[in-house]
Amino acid sequence: MIRYQGGSLEAFQEIYAQLAPGVRRYLSHMAGGSEVADDLLQETFLQMHRSRAAYNPAYAVKPWVFGLARNVFLMNRRAARRWAKVHESRENLPEFPVLPEADRLGSQDEIRRGLAYLSPDQVEALLLHHEWGFSFEEIAGMLGITAAAARARASRGIADLRLALNTLQRARA
Amino acid sequence: MMDRSPKPPEALMRAIAQDLRPVRPSPQPLHLALRMVPLALLVSSVILLAIGPRRDSAILGPLLTWGASAAQFVLAIALVWIAAHESTPAGRLPRQMVYLAVAAASLVVVFVTLLTFSASPANATLRVPPRISEILRVSPWIVDLACGIGNTLAGGILVLLFSRVFRNSLATRPTVAGALYGAGAGLAINAGWRIACPFSTPWHSLGAHGAAIISTVMLGALIGRFFGNRRLRIGGRRS
Repeated sequence: MIRYQGGSLEAFQEIYAQLAPGVRRYLSHMAGGSEVADDLLQETFLQMHRSRAAYNPAYAVKPWVFGLARNVFLMNRRAARRWAKVHESRENLPEFPVLPEADRLGSQDEIRRGLAYLSPDQVEALLLHHEWGFSFEEIAGMLGITAAAARARASRGIADLRLALNTLQRARA
Repeated sequence: MMDRSPKPPEALMRAIAQDLRPVRPSPQPLHLALRMVPLALLVSSVILLAIGPRRDSAILGPLLTWGASAAQFVLAIALVWIAAHESTPAGRLPRQMVYLAVAAASLVVVFVTLLTFSASPANATLRVPPRISEILRVSPWIVDLACGIGNTLAGGILVLLFSRVFRNSLATRPTVAGALYGAGAGLAINAGWRIACPFSTPWHSLGAHGAAIISTVMLGALIGRFFGNRRLRIGGRRS
């Protein structure tokens, strides 16, 4: 990032190559669709470029870029008032990531359905920690909550996911 | 169809390549807040340099005259520090801390006002010509208005100076970030203003000075929102 701030195009390409797939999946989860995610991904990196001076090397690059992606999504949502649409589409998320921790709890399809029963806050904390590997301190910095609250959201999320999967499996049986 | 490989899309690369001038990394929130100190000190002490300290400062004592203002000033810088954190995507502070700081700032202003009034409740007289003194005796609201407007103007100048530093803010809630540094500016100005203003009635201190602080909070929020919307418009132009 420091090389990029110094004006290196190759450094930007390296950052993009390392972070774009994860950021895209994160945006896809947030926006509930891959088409919107592609636009938001491009916008995130444009914003990153315009705001590269706002980056402080004291912060890790990954949470900073993910936090920026979250901002871009929220700004877009505010502008387009897509909130209702996002919730409607939650039942049918095409690229909803499946948690490695949840793998043994059920099939990928079941886990996707189970995640749809959780609150958006819980899902976000769960995914940021288990799917993208952020520490609870990093999640706290991105979401404006305490590390303890981030941990609580993720663990309650796992517990609720278990409940939701049990309910789904019983209903199917 | 967009390119989903880790290679940046052509259009994005073109936009990036157009402007690759080197930039200086942003300072940490604490450094950013500390950088504001000389600026805030300068603007908040203008009124003090212009009309001097209040006449009842001997009655109030150094702790209530200077100490209370110093406490307000430190809180003002703390609010700017929180605003700087709020403007960093990966460095946001817990919401509780933001609310706590705002509540503490409000309580300190009220507490200092009541303490000052209890220590020196007498109506002050201004060092003005007798004709103006008579007008002010008949219409005391003129002093409230003048204090409110002066305080707001000084606060407005400081908010504008702060917003120059925060113009590249990446706040998730730009209105909140703006309101926070607006509150910091309002509090810093009030810290200086209260040492010079000779009126200690709660009506005047909370009404005129308090309204000025609220005005700077609103101005900061509006500027923050403006920057947030401007960023949104810039981002909206997809290449």
